[in-house]
Amino acid sequence: MRRTAVVLGAVFALTSLATAGAQSQPIDLQALVDAAPSGSVVTLVPGVYAGNVVIDKPLTIDGGGLAVVDAGGDGNGFEITAADVTLRGLTIRDTGDSLDRENAGVSGRSASRMVVEDCVFQNVLFGVFARQSPDAVIRNNVIGAKDLDLGRRGDGIRVWETSGAQIIGNTVDGGRDSVMWYSDNLIVDGNKFTNGRYGLHFMYSHDATITNNVLEGNSVGGFLMYSKNLTFTGNFIGGNSGPSGYGLGMKEVDGASVRDNQFVGNRIGVYFDYSPISYDVTNHFVANLVAYNEVGLMFLPNVERNAFTGNAFIENREQVGVSSGGEFTGNIWSVDGVGNHWDDFGGYDADGDGIGDIPYKLDDLYSVLIDTHPEMAFFADTPAARAVDMAAHLFPTLRPRPKVVDEAPLVDMPQISPRPSGATTIESTGLLGVSLALLAAAAAIVALSRSRIGGLR
Amino acid sequence: MTVAVARPQIEAGTVVTIARKELRDSVRNKWFWLYAIAFAGLAGVLTTLALPSARVAGYGAFGRSASSLVALVQLIVPLMGLTLGAQALAGQQERGTIRFLMSHPISRSEAFIGMYLGLAAALSAAIAAGFGSAGVITVMRGGAADAGSFARIAILSWILAAAMLGVGMLVSAFTSRSGVASGSALFVWLGLVFLGDLGVMGTALATDLPVGALFFSAVANPVEAFRLATLTSFEGSLDVLGPAGTYAVDSFGSALDALLISVLILWVIVPVTIAWYRFTRGKDL
Repeated sequence: MRRTAVVLGAVFALTSLATAGAQSQPIDLQALVDAAPSGSVVTLVPGVYAGNVVIDKPLTIDGGGLAVVDAGGDGNGFEITAADVTLRGLTIRDTGDSLDRENAGVSGRSASRMVVEDCVFQNVLFGVFARQSPDAVIRNNVIGAKDLDLGRRGDGIRVWETSGAQIIGNTVDGGRDSVMWYSDNLIVDGNKFTNGRYGLHFMYSHDATITNNVLEGNSVGGFLMYSKNLTFTGNFIGGNSGPSGYGLGMKEVDGASVRDNQFVGNRIGVYFDYSPISYDVTNHFVANLVAYNEVGLMFLPNVERNAFTGNAFIENREQVGVSSGGEFTGNIWSVDGVGNHWDDFGGYDADGDGIGDIPYKLDDLYSVLIDTHPEMAFFADTPAARAVDMAAHLFPTLRPRPKVVDEAPLVDMPQISPRPSGATTIESTGLLGVSLALLAAAAAIVALSRSRIGGLR
Repeated sequence: MTVAVARPQIEAGTVVTIARKELRDSVRNKWFWLYAIAFAGLAGVLTTLALPSARVAGYGAFGRSASSLVALVQLIVPLMGLTLGAQALAGQQERGTIRFLMSHPISRSEAFIGMYLGLAAALSAAIAAGFGSAGVITVMRGGAADAGSFARIAILSWILAAAMLGVGMLVSAFTSRSGVASGSALFVWLGLVFLGDLGVMGTALATDLPVGALFFSAVANPVEAFRLATLTSFEGSLDVLGPAGTYAVDSFGSALDALLISVLILWVIVPVTIAWYRFTRGKDL
């Protein structure tokens, strides 16, 4: 039964191709779908097929990587309204650009267990949009975006009331967000979300595991909101430096476990907006690298019950900031005698147990000034700002209350395994050339001064 | 052959000769070597210290060393330029060198320009040596930086040095004793490097200065203009500087670089011109 369906599909495709070839019209994929029996596999021969295809029965469409579905700049690539539909190996392109109608490459509605895999999306408003389609699988797709103003773009991946979805190994570039709404038990693993607004956005979606993703070059890397019991592990979050520029933002998130991630080169590494929100919940941050951010961790005032252990804070312009400088106590900076590694720790470890013998205290006057008066950031790192800090250390009356006290700072940098990222490494040959040229110039000038001067000796 | 002392006339050959004499004097000067070695040494040490942990997935590879280098330049290069410049006219006047020089068929303009160029060459050597050694150490320790931004910071430092040298000579032109000139130069240094910024900070804190006013009062200072110009090259933008930085980016966009470099160039041209005017119109030597 199934084999005949395959053959049938291919014959339909071939005949359509033959007739379409002369007029270079896209092949009528809807007709193929309508003719295919429920539950069959339609294998497409290479060619361009017309989009705006509605699939209302269980069906697999396999493009073999060479079939193109072109929506002609209007509507969706596919609209799926039945369970158990699989789309595989297709290039889906040129959807409409209506945000109202949510034009998408693949738009699923009540499409339980829909599978979209190994597909390429080009010039689409939304990429894959799954509504009320539990256990959907979105796997190994490459999703591009329309070249529109950020506000007029759609989401690379949008999941709506679709619990149990698996989003694995996708590359999503240049869209608005990849956003999960009201969907529990999601698995988001090994994806790359780059150059969007929010790389990854969780809204009211509980019990997800978010692992091994790269969130890079977005305005905000990831924003987790109103979601409970999220596991966020092994992700690389780098170079997210838009106007808000959070690597990871957490708003009213309870029971988060943030472990073994790298927050590198963001404007703000992790932003804490009333997380956790419940009084009996602690969020845990373990073994993360927070490096080269403008601000490593930024808290709204009165945020408490975050516990940090085994993290490394390296060369952030400001290690920990408190927005507008309000009350800031009640976070935990060492757990069971294990604190964090701070590269500006000025203490010592005489007994050699790897734990500093004096607490790490973050009490730079100038960083407190920046917290309360953001315009002071303008002078950060100037000799004058350093003089202010020095004055505070010389005259303890000027010293502010420490923002952070880590009773058990780690003296050595914890082992950090490198993560994949798209950042380009810079060749050193150019630098060597410039440096040697400068040294040669210096030598030439000194030599010039030693040679005889006509008239004057 | 009549040796007409045609005052306004400036001969390139004479200027070059005086410049080379001034360069030779500088290179023989212990202070110059002290500055040069201190700058090169500190630049090397800072780069070394800033590098070890400095490589995660291509981020932050040079940012920290660069900002340390920039802070070092902010401190030392103005000090070098100001003190060398302050010594130039007043010191030579005190020692009678200028009187001896002027007994030759040389116009005052030639003497002034020659001195300026000679000292500028000496400063260039010190700065090139400092940046060169910092760069070589970075490469030797396995670091890397964008050669373009590195060269840009070196060139901006050189422009800053030329400006500070001019300000030093301006101080010198208005004093006749080298001690007074050096003291005044140190005070100017303190003002440009610390008091200026602290003053703007204090004013901003006390009066809720609008960010635009904060930006302009800070940028009028050549040391600040230098810092911001370097930041645009290795941070890519001034957004990192909070609201005032965002204001600058929003108001000037791509013209920001030109604005900052113009401020620096103005600081090169204006003080030197006033110093030259004062020196050439001077009475006795």
